[in-house]
Amino acid sequence: MSRVSPLRAARPQSDPAHPHLRLDPSVCDGVGICSHLAPDLVAVDTWGYPIVSGDPLSSKSLQRQADAAARACPRKALHVQ
Amino acid sequence: MSHHLHLAEGTAATRRGLRMLDDAAVLGLHGTESLTGVARHDLAAHRAAFGPRLSHLGHLGEDLLAAMETVHLTGRGGGHFPAAAKWRSVLAHGPGGTVVANGAEGEPGCAKDAVLLQVRPHLVLDGLVAAVEVLGAAEAVVWIHDGAWQTARSITRALAERVAAGEADPPIRVIAAPDRYLSGEATGIIRTIEGGPTLPRWVADPARPWSEGQRSVLVNNAETMARAGLISHVGVDGYAPTSLLTVINDTYRAVVEVGPEETFGDVVTNTWRSPDGRPPQAVLLGGYGGSWVPWERIAHLPVDNTALREHGLSVGAGLVGPLPADACGIEESARLLRYLADQSARQCGPCLFGLAATSTLVDDLTAGKLSRSGRATLDKYVGEISGRGACRHPDGALRMLVSGLHVFSEDVHVHRKGRTCNAPNHSIMPLPEEGS
Repeated sequence: MSRVSPLRAARPQSDPAHPHLRLDPSVCDGVGICSHLAPDLVAVDTWGYPIVSGDPLSSKSLQRQADAAARACPRKALHVQ
Repeated sequence: MSHHLHLAEGTAATRRGLRMLDDAAVLGLHGTESLTGVARHDLAAHRAAFGPRLSHLGHLGEDLLAAMETVHLTGRGGGHFPAAAKWRSVLAHGPGGTVVANGAEGEPGCAKDAVLLQVRPHLVLDGLVAAVEVLGAAEAVVWIHDGAWQTARSITRALAERVAAGEADPPIRVIAAPDRYLSGEATGIIRTIEGGPTLPRWVADPARPWSEGQRSVLVNNAETMARAGLISHVGVDGYAPTSLLTVINDTYRAVVEVGPEETFGDVVTNTWRSPDGRPPQAVLLGGYGGSWVPWERIAHLPVDNTALREHGLSVGAGLVGPLPADACGIEESARLLRYLADQSARQCGPCLFGLAATSTLVDDLTAGKLSRSGRATLDKYVGEISGRGACRHPDGALRMLVSGLHVFSEDVHVHRKGRTCNAPNHSIMPLPEEGS
């Protein structure tokens, strides 16, 4: 009867087969386009800045969202890597 | 300056290895220009105390790396990342880079790096030279705060002493960084050396923090570099696994070298002057972005970062800030949070806006104006901001706040009821703008 602790389960697992959407917060200006183009990956905080999911881009749909958000960012703050 | 330091005699265990300081160094609360208590080693005194420095060229470099691994040398700027692992990732990148001894010491309470650079400059320089040899670097840098005149004078004198003695050193530059809290942040140093501004930046791979296509830059805290220098002289057998601590008193700070056989209770008893004869109620450990720890919990813990880690604590940058029994911990936490929020590099939204908003809520709390929903908002902000800066500045500020809310829960309760806490002893930890 083994149970995975919720904390551990929530931690992003590094998986070389699946890239991640990553944010450089020092150049992000909180423009917010990313949260519309990648709603499954990007939430917005109290001050309008993106909170980016640390989960791997494990499906075609997530990869499409990540690519669209990274391309559209006017500050070039998002990276798929 | 009046003080009474009755430092305990070291035990047999600490006498085994060679220490960097032979006594406590004492400074005022602000700046690093008033150091007394330890005489400076010129090059002759340095060689007499620590012996000749050995070469670390070629395969001999592996010996020094192995020795650093054996004694578990970690980064003393606060992060305590294994120093040898950092050197090895630079080694893997190839030769021709820059090595930096970081003595900027942004933590306003801390003075250990200034003490080392002022009284043991040749230990730091020997560490830098060893790093250049081991890593095949092209140049070395001593990174200090602008305005740290005594520190700058000691280093330039030490460099002149080495030239006069015919030491075959690589080129060593002294760079004075802007006098700000975050000027000692490693990615900002690397950015400066690459020709950019002295501001933290986000790095995709922490093991390779320099820019794509650029030569490597190794940044080690000045104490870490001095310890590498010490190991290069005395080896594993002669090395004492001590920590340099800065203990904050009412009118002065004491920088002491402490071994793992001593507890924080010993350190505070020996180097802290209680205003009322009572022990402190808590200690701020590591830095202003460190943790408040209740006295009953920290007094019996050893000054040993490996042991502290098991308790979820860290020596950090070596700050020991005792809070007197009659002081208000939540007012002190609010004051430090305001300072840390103001010191944001103003690049990342969660730090710039989030820390300021959090600080305003905590000020409301100490003023007795924070509603129940306001308290929920405070918890929400802490959860939203954590881990979202390019550097760790917001994480440290929140760590201090969260530990303060927990440790000083009785003070929080009194303040939330809108009562004044009647604590007469305000403003314990020194802040730069309050200096003369």
